[in-house]
Amino acid sequence: MPAEITMPQLSDTMTEGTVVKWLKKEGDKVRAGEVIAEVETDKANMEMEAFEAGTLAVIAVPEGGKAAVGAAIAILATGSEKVEDVKKSGSTTAKAAASAPAGNAVARPEASNQQAAPKAAMAAASAGQERVPQPAESGGAVATHEAASRSEIHEPDGVGHGATRGPAHAVPPLPHGNGNGNGNGSRVFASPLARRVAADKGVDLAEVKGTGPNGRVVQADVLSYQPTAKQAGGATEEKTTGKPAAKSEATAPARVGTGEKQVIPLTKMRQTIAARLQQSKQQIPHFYETVDVDVEALSELRERVNKQLEKEKVRLSIGDFIAKAVATALVQHPAVNAHYDGKNNQIIRYGDVHLGMAVALPDGLIVPVLRHINQMGLKEIRQRSAELVDKARGQKLKGDEMSGATFTVSNLGTFGVKEFAAIVNPPEVGILAIAAAEPRAVVRNGQIVARTIMSITLSADHRAVDGAVAADFLRTLKNLLEEPGLMLV
Amino acid sequence: MARPCLLLNPTSRHGRAARGTADRTTPMAQLQFRQALRAAMTEEMERDENVFLIGEEVAEYNGAYKVSEGMLDKFGPKRIIDTPISEAAFSGLAVGSACMGLRPIVEFMSWSFTWVCIDQIVNNAANVRYMSGGQYKVPVVFRGGNGIAHQLGATHSHRMESVYARIPGLIVVHPSTPADAKGLLKSSIRCDDPVIFLESEKMLNELGEVPDDADYTVPIGVANVERQGKDVTLVSYGRALQRVVRPAVKALADDHGIDVELIDLRTLRPMDTKTCIESIKKTNRCVIVDEDWGYCGMGSGILQKLQKPAFDYLDAPIEYVHSDEIPVPFNHYLEEAMMPSVDRIVSAVKEVCYR
Repeated sequence: MPAEITMPQLSDTMTEGTVVKWLKKEGDKVRAGEVIAEVETDKANMEMEAFEAGTLAVIAVPEGGKAAVGAAIAILATGSEKVEDVKKSGSTTAKAAASAPAGNAVARPEASNQQAAPKAAMAAASAGQERVPQPAESGGAVATHEAASRSEIHEPDGVGHGATRGPAHAVPPLPHGNGNGNGNGSRVFASPLARRVAADKGVDLAEVKGTGPNGRVVQADVLSYQPTAKQAGGATEEKTTGKPAAKSEATAPARVGTGEKQVIPLTKMRQTIAARLQQSKQQIPHFYETVDVDVEALSELRERVNKQLEKEKVRLSIGDFIAKAVATALVQHPAVNAHYDGKNNQIIRYGDVHLGMAVALPDGLIVPVLRHINQMGLKEIRQRSAELVDKARGQKLKGDEMSGATFTVSNLGTFGVKEFAAIVNPPEVGILAIAAAEPRAVVRNGQIVARTIMSITLSADHRAVDGAVAADFLRTLKNLLEEPGLMLV
Repeated sequence: MARPCLLLNPTSRHGRAARGTADRTTPMAQLQFRQALRAAMTEEMERDENVFLIGEEVAEYNGAYKVSEGMLDKFGPKRIIDTPISEAAFSGLAVGSACMGLRPIVEFMSWSFTWVCIDQIVNNAANVRYMSGGQYKVPVVFRGGNGIAHQLGATHSHRMESVYARIPGLIVVHPSTPADAKGLLKSSIRCDDPVIFLESEKMLNELGEVPDDADYTVPIGVANVERQGKDVTLVSYGRALQRVVRPAVKALADDHGIDVELIDLRTLRPMDTKTCIESIKKTNRCVIVDEDWGYCGMGSGILQKLQKPAFDYLDAPIEYVHSDEIPVPFNHYLEEAMMPSVDRIVSAVKEVCYR
């Protein structure tokens, strides 16, 4: 039996993926478990393994091509059948399937046949009514393209759609996901129930990946879309920071003031960041508390310790101490080390701390998670975080290395930011914004003196955390940072 | 003068209980569908002398399908009346006598033969009460075998429920169990409006527990939630239930882990929409099964009644499993093949469950 190789879902939020590289070509033998391709998700590049042994008969999505999660990207001849036969029978389906859902699907040219054109026009017309208008520069073209490919999915099963017939009429497995995960202006198919549930929960259907026929969003998709706090591993996502400003500085074009207008299409990651943070700011009643921390003792301690560690080639950063202090404080204040689970009317407090650390990337940001950081010493924190940051920059993080945080820290200290407030990343209930440590004039014993001060700001979800609780946590944290010895206690 | 029937001999084991003589003390008896119908007619004729039975071979031959066996002996030729092959005439006679205060039960050998008396049933029976401003009531029951039986050919296999269920003024009943057959027929005979009472030749041998109680009735217009379930609402009625729906529900539970809520409509007009909607609110999915042709079939009407009130609770389009849209073949295998099967129901249910 020929086996379809489908686009795997490599992260919670992934709706489509790009085949970066095929490591096998058509006709190559493949062993089960062998890596056959590299796939780019919305977050990282991942290796894709074959689940079965056989011969790679058809590559439906070429390098650079996109496919929705679940869509066939290749066909494997696994039995005694001839590769040529599989090629003949399988290639059309696989290509159609693969090319359909992805907006800019590269796939092969015959996918866009004569039928598509008039329907594309119709679909594009209706798309215009349905969804938020796109920026004129690129939106129209994208919508049309998307509609064109969508209308192809419809056709093949138009006849048997009564589905009152037996297995003979069984609809061929349609590509899942209608590309609506990116909400780029096309119509979202959703069941009435899914629409109602989404409206109740304030979920934007365009963000939800549909698993029903034609990529229809069904109730289960909406329910599972909300980051569920129940499984620690279920939480996900881009964390927040105030970073965009800083980031655009970092990636700003070298030539300034050329007068040229640039149109930057949103990457998957940028879309995800936009959607998640908008949702967070709209739905979570944020409040902010800032304390100033005197970090002179901490800096001294760090210098002394680093001197001792020189021969081990380990150098602790202020950030490592902060991470340690935050973990220690969170253990003492589980109310802040929690997830808000509105769906089930509950708050989940975690006994261990899984600390998310926002990392800026050239285009976006990502939040690797230091699991069980409360059980780590400073050296381990340093090593593990360096490792994660490296992986994050290389887009190599695995799913569980970027999900399941119980609390997040965003550090813009190196950019000289005086003070900022980050956006809570649900279902977490708090996020800590670390600004730069700088010499400031402060009053000590009635005298104005110069001290190194760092402002830290906690953003908290008021549904789960009250002002005094947050303040208490900050007081503990401030004590730990100003008297780092307390971390040993 | 009861004559033994070589093909069908329903009185052998359970006939006494059906007449309610020997087993009065037993609250429930195992009865065949036909015995339940006979019990209902017998009890109502004992209760009300205005009730009479008319049709082809209902008297001397004890009924083409032995539903009225022994009734001529019991009630005599004035109340158990044989007719020639003249459906238009005797159904018209029944409508007229009902207008004048009698309560006729008309037995059709097959509902397929009633195409010739649609004028009497639709133009007269259904309209008289309304058009006379309520001065006439038409308490007539038309009953007989409906739908596909067993190799009777296209002209004997019509499913007439969708023909009559669309007519205001008529009540349409289609029981699926012997107990419902008895209780609903008694309610129908007592009803002051014309009732289309649909049976199936193929169900007449079905056995079931039937309350042996002259006061036992099943109300018209109330569906039966035959099985509670959480995953999908399956709406059906009549023979389809007995033939394929119940086995499909079992297969879905056993082999696919899908928990079906099964609703037996029992009355097709007025339809118990409320029960169905309540169920869909719970399951968010619905499949309708009948043996009619799909286009303008009974299930289409049911679907129309459900989709709007259930819209916001549906997670998938309502599916309708029906017979193929062809004249019913004589050939046994083709006849079977055109009708809803367990497989078709299973795949429709899986489709709406996205499994």
